[in-house]
Amino acid sequence: MDTVIIDGLSFALPLFIIAIGGIYSEKSGITNLALEGFQGFGAFVGALSAVLIAHTSGIGVEHLFYVALLFSMIGGMMFSIIHAVLCIKFKADQVISGVVINILALALTTFLTAQINVLVFGQASDRFQLGVSDRFTIEFLANIPVIGAAFTNIYPFEIIIVIIACFAWYLLYKSKFGMRLRAAGENPHSVDAAGVDVSKVRFSAVLISGLLSGLGGMCFAYSISANFSSSIYMGYGFLAIAALIFGNWKILPTLVACLIFGFAKSGGSAIAMVMELPSSFTDLFMTLPYVLTLLLLIFFSKSNRAPRALGEIYDKGKR
Amino acid sequence: MSDYIVEMKHITKRFPGIVANDDVSIGIKKGEIFALLGENGAGKSTLMSILSGMYEPDEGEVYIRGEKVQISSPNHAAKLNIGMVHQHFKLVPDYTITENIILGIEPMKRFAGIFPYVDIQSANRKIEELSKSFGLEVDPKKRITDLTVSMQQRVEILKVLYREAEILIFDEPTAVLTPQEIEFLLDIIEGLRQGGKTIILITHKLDEIKKVADRCAVLNKGKLIDVLDVKETSTNYMAQLMVGREVSFESAKTPAQMKDEVLKVENLTVKNEDGFEVVKDVSFSIRGGEIFAIAGVADNGQVEIADAIAGLTKVSSGKILLNEQDITDERIRKRTEAGISYIPEDRQSVGLILDFDVATNLALKQYYKEPFSRNGILNKEEFDQFGNRLIEKYDIRSGQGIQTQVRSMSGGNQQKAIIAREIELQSPLMIFVQPTRGVDIGAIENIHKMMIQERDKGKAILLVSLELDEIMDVADTIGVIYNGRLQKVASSESLTKNEVGEYMMGAKHG
Repeated sequence: MDTVIIDGLSFALPLFIIAIGGIYSEKSGITNLALEGFQGFGAFVGALSAVLIAHTSGIGVEHLFYVALLFSMIGGMMFSIIHAVLCIKFKADQVISGVVINILALALTTFLTAQINVLVFGQASDRFQLGVSDRFTIEFLANIPVIGAAFTNIYPFEIIIVIIACFAWYLLYKSKFGMRLRAAGENPHSVDAAGVDVSKVRFSAVLISGLLSGLGGMCFAYSISANFSSSIYMGYGFLAIAALIFGNWKILPTLVACLIFGFAKSGGSAIAMVMELPSSFTDLFMTLPYVLTLLLLIFFSKSNRAPRALGEIYDKGKR
Repeated sequence: MSDYIVEMKHITKRFPGIVANDDVSIGIKKGEIFALLGENGAGKSTLMSILSGMYEPDEGEVYIRGEKVQISSPNHAAKLNIGMVHQHFKLVPDYTITENIILGIEPMKRFAGIFPYVDIQSANRKIEELSKSFGLEVDPKKRITDLTVSMQQRVEILKVLYREAEILIFDEPTAVLTPQEIEFLLDIIEGLRQGGKTIILITHKLDEIKKVADRCAVLNKGKLIDVLDVKETSTNYMAQLMVGREVSFESAKTPAQMKDEVLKVENLTVKNEDGFEVVKDVSFSIRGGEIFAIAGVADNGQVEIADAIAGLTKVSSGKILLNEQDITDERIRKRTEAGISYIPEDRQSVGLILDFDVATNLALKQYYKEPFSRNGILNKEEFDQFGNRLIEKYDIRSGQGIQTQVRSMSGGNQQKAIIAREIELQSPLMIFVQPTRGVDIGAIENIHKMMIQERDKGKAILLVSLELDEIMDVADTIGVIYNGRLQKVASSESLTKNEVGEYMMGAKHG
């Protein structure tokens, strides 16, 4: 039971932060299917900077977690500029742009990882070895029955994500930037008429989604996969999109959706473990979050409502 | 000189292929209500877009309070205390009134001295005060989705007032309102003037100008025709200047010669996509030689009634009889052949195929029949002959005759093409949905004439319109709809415009 909660949280929270990125972009009116690519590219940049620094300075790569985190955010943000420029400046189709960016991220990072391994480290490998970040336990809270597990064996990034998520909530719902951003996704003409530049607001929103996705991707790389390789593209970016849709493009309900996915995943592995099934069956249980996605889709797609101007190219002249 | 708060001198603005403003000069005095009168495309909106910073003029100068300015953006205009109340509202549906008004100039406060946040509370109070002092009566905490159109308009007015505008431009403000709401709006405008504001009113409705405006500039095809003192000018003269020729306001309508019943609608109920009943238990009938008009505020189910009869919407219960034949569940082509002509509300997406030429569009409802096609093969020659004949007969103006792409034609001529096509079907029932929306006065006159002609040929005509004036002008019988129900059905002579207005708002029941 404890492992279900511990593993569930450590999966749900990175997913949550990627989903928040998606919420920012979509609330501003830009459809964002590129979350998958953002998180992968962000993780790539983070991992690359960690192994490079470890290589030159001799510090163990597992201790460079915070450095990697910082660079992953920058990397995700830089990569998201492509989506922003294509969709906002060149008014490209947002769905196509998103799909292309995902393919580009996968191809580019796989290629670069192999090349850099050969050229810099002189070894043929398709991955950057990272290790697993340290964990800690908050003793006095960990002793509470059941819930205590939530405070046991925590990755530091879980705390970071919670803090950033709180700030993201405040920024989206309480600040004037957030107010303009949400208005841009509902009726961009109203924002324009109020003398605010719609393009700037949307541009910032897409960059934020890149930044947060990069962060989420890095957390996955430093926990469940312990390295960076093309296996980072497991579809978690798409799962995040599913979560934000179930969450009705709102931050708190999206957290609930992410937790459900997280516990479904860890619960799936736990059941497979307890039943001592052969490994081919474990894979079956790993599909649990996705099966759940399909089921939830049936119930939620009716009542949930996307931002009104989502995916619409904003053209000043049109009314 | 200095008694003008706004002066626009020798303004010229060109767009590709058209001169929207041609050497226009006007001066507006502080505290007056100044009207801009002109048909669609006369250049009123362009002129005011220049004043509100949306366009820059190609030639000419603008003076505000005696100082020469170059207004570069709506923000700049706001700083000069110029505000525009747009015709198409720019509101965020899920936001409250307050949130919509403060968008862009949000008042901030700090939480615990550090975290800045948008101070909704104080804005709520300020807007409530503002609303009270100008008699606008809005509750700032309400969401836009819960507001009527006229309330939403008041929010637009408040937006401008909140930005401390002294010069308010109203762009066709009454186009979407009922007579009672128009009355109220004109009172508000009068109140604003008494509060020291200067008002510019863009409109093509003469009676409104007569009611509130002090002076009035008439524009025609981009040129300033004259600036008139409203009190000393007759509406007839203003109309003449506006159109450039004499206009008859009285439609040449003889009393209806009603014949047998053509359409009978019994207990019609229609549900929309979400399963709500938008048309509730509606019954009426139309006889040959009768124009039956459905009056109502937008979105009260009138379009759905027309669509249900034409077959575009499914009927959930009730019956539709055309010449005593039950067509309730028939396919659209069957209905057309049984005798329904339909002029849809959205002529560009439903009425026409914009990228096809005129000849094809005119043949759209008959192409599959002889002589337009034989054994499934189209006969181009027949299309062309038919097209040429209709262009001639209905005076459809198109640049390259029958080969003209419909997209390049003006709205009025597109509408003429649709009406021509539908009249040629010789159907006993013709349905007109908003036939004069967005076309200019000359074309409106023409469309009304055609409707009356068809009526006199013995056809039954169903007219759905949001323009009450139009309904009062042409209808023989008026049915007023509110919230999906027919509130009242009576002959047009027995109803006054105000009564119809009251039924439209549900204030009165038949």
